[in-house]
Amino acid sequence: MLAIEAASITKIYKGARQAALSDVSLKVEAGRIFTLLGRNGAGKTTFVRVCATQLMPTSGSISVLGYDVAKQAKQIRDLISVVPQEGRPLRALTSWDHVYNWLQIRGEGKQIAKDKTEEILRKLELYEARDRPAMNLSGGMKQKILVAMAMATDAQLLFLDEPTIGLDPMSRRQVWSAINDWKSKGGSILLTTHYMDEAEMLSDYIVIIDRGAVIARGTIQELRRVIPQNIRVDIARDGLDVDALRPYGSVVDTGAGMLRVFTFESAVRELSELALRKNLTFTVSPVTLDDVFVYLAGRGIGDDQNSSD
Amino acid sequence: MCLYTLQEEALEMTRIAVTSMLPVRQAFLIAYMTGVLWLRRNPMSLVFTAISPFSLLFVLFVISGGGYVVPAVVGSLVMALVGYGLALGQDISFYKTEYKVQDVFVASPVSPLTYMMGLALSELLFGLPALIVLTSLVMLFGASVFSIPLLIATILLIWGSMSAMGFFLSSRMLHMRNATQVISFVNVILAILPPVFYSIDRVPDILRPLAYAMPTTHASLILQHIMGKGTPGEWSLGFGFAVLIAYLIGFVALAKTKAIWREN
Repeated sequence: MLAIEAASITKIYKGARQAALSDVSLKVEAGRIFTLLGRNGAGKTTFVRVCATQLMPTSGSISVLGYDVAKQAKQIRDLISVVPQEGRPLRALTSWDHVYNWLQIRGEGKQIAKDKTEEILRKLELYEARDRPAMNLSGGMKQKILVAMAMATDAQLLFLDEPTIGLDPMSRRQVWSAINDWKSKGGSILLTTHYMDEAEMLSDYIVIIDRGAVIARGTIQELRRVIPQNIRVDIARDGLDVDALRPYGSVVDTGAGMLRVFTFESAVRELSELALRKNLTFTVSPVTLDDVFVYLAGRGIGDDQNSSD
Repeated sequence: MCLYTLQEEALEMTRIAVTSMLPVRQAFLIAYMTGVLWLRRNPMSLVFTAISPFSLLFVLFVISGGGYVVPAVVGSLVMALVGYGLALGQDISFYKTEYKVQDVFVASPVSPLTYMMGLALSELLFGLPALIVLTSLVMLFGASVFSIPLLIATILLIWGSMSAMGFFLSSRMLHMRNATQVISFVNVILAILPPVFYSIDRVPDILRPLAYAMPTTHASLILQHIMGKGTPGEWSLGFGFAVLIAYLIGFVALAKTKAIWREN
């Protein structure tokens, strides 16, 4: 079964010169974590908002959990839950107030709402601070309240638009754990993130969007193959001639005093010896999703971006 | 088999009953979250909100040496109701643009009218102390106990229609500042310019139809009638309520059909 099926979705905001989404077609299988990656303004949030019945597309069709977003929004809204990008909890309300009342608003009885609230607050380590108003909580804890509100529901499909933004590494892992628990219960998730490690850790399938169009899609393994080489070697730049590295593969300046060479296992030994001879630090690792992302979406950085993401 | 069928039917009826009551429960829960819980932790908000409707009443009372107290009380009550209704628009705009709360509600089983009702109830809660004092003044200055239902009906009609209008206006505002400006403007158009604080006799004949087109004029006339003051011969209580009901239906219909819930 498909959680989302989008066919030729285009979205042009009123007064915009450029389409925020241009002829986007994709399928999200139920029970999986589907991640949208893209630069700021790429169209990720626009796509999420269209699917979550918050925004009408200009053209094309989307069905969410078998219902048409344009004509059957009411049916979809019973089955979904969202964490909006840059959302904030209400200042005077506690995490308990938010989750417990939200569950009741969605139709849960008091006892079930109470149990579910306690469970999610414990899972996200918000329980100890359950009586503190949001205005007295850290930015990360505030963000976790929004995640808790969405994940405490019995929705079938979650839309998480940059849910871990501003969270410390431990909090991010708590959210990841909650996301995986959700998936293990059969739930589907559409996730957007700027964190490549998060995408690698969680995603079953990834779509990379750039300037409103899909530029790559696949599993992590499939996307890694976008870069012909499978190994990356980072070498300190100090006095090193870039041309001396070119025979080994593609060379990229990381901008942090390091040169990155995408290469194959066969060249690693020679590159290592080169670095050692010149007494330069170096690291060797497999090509990551981050490399793929920069390789695909990094072209044209600094060009005009769509401000309607 | 028969017992099983009965049980099934009972369950189905319970489910229907629960489902049909859900919007009411949702509205009260929204009001509880945004009103009661807020006030519990910020009780001073109640004081600040309660004081503002008395500013013009105080000025008029002092200037007239107490002689203009009835129109001042009537005007203050109508202006307060317009203000609480329209303030909903500011709140909605704030929740939408600053907190993204509306995004969460849009993608949920909460309808726009339920959301509006919840926040309108919350606004009413903030205004309750001022409304209690002002209605007490209405009673004190001439209204009889028998007119209480009329008084309550007037309050609910004007508050309901203004809330729906506030919701409609705010849904079309992209920025908080726009909402505040437009709502302040509408407040002047509805509560200051029409004969709310003054008698309709002072309106030139040529402008009277315009005055009668304003719901606040009728709210003011109904309150004057309740307080035993004279009203124009061409106006009647039934006409006044008919206009207020028409406005309520019109604005709720406008909010339901034309307010932007899902963005385009």
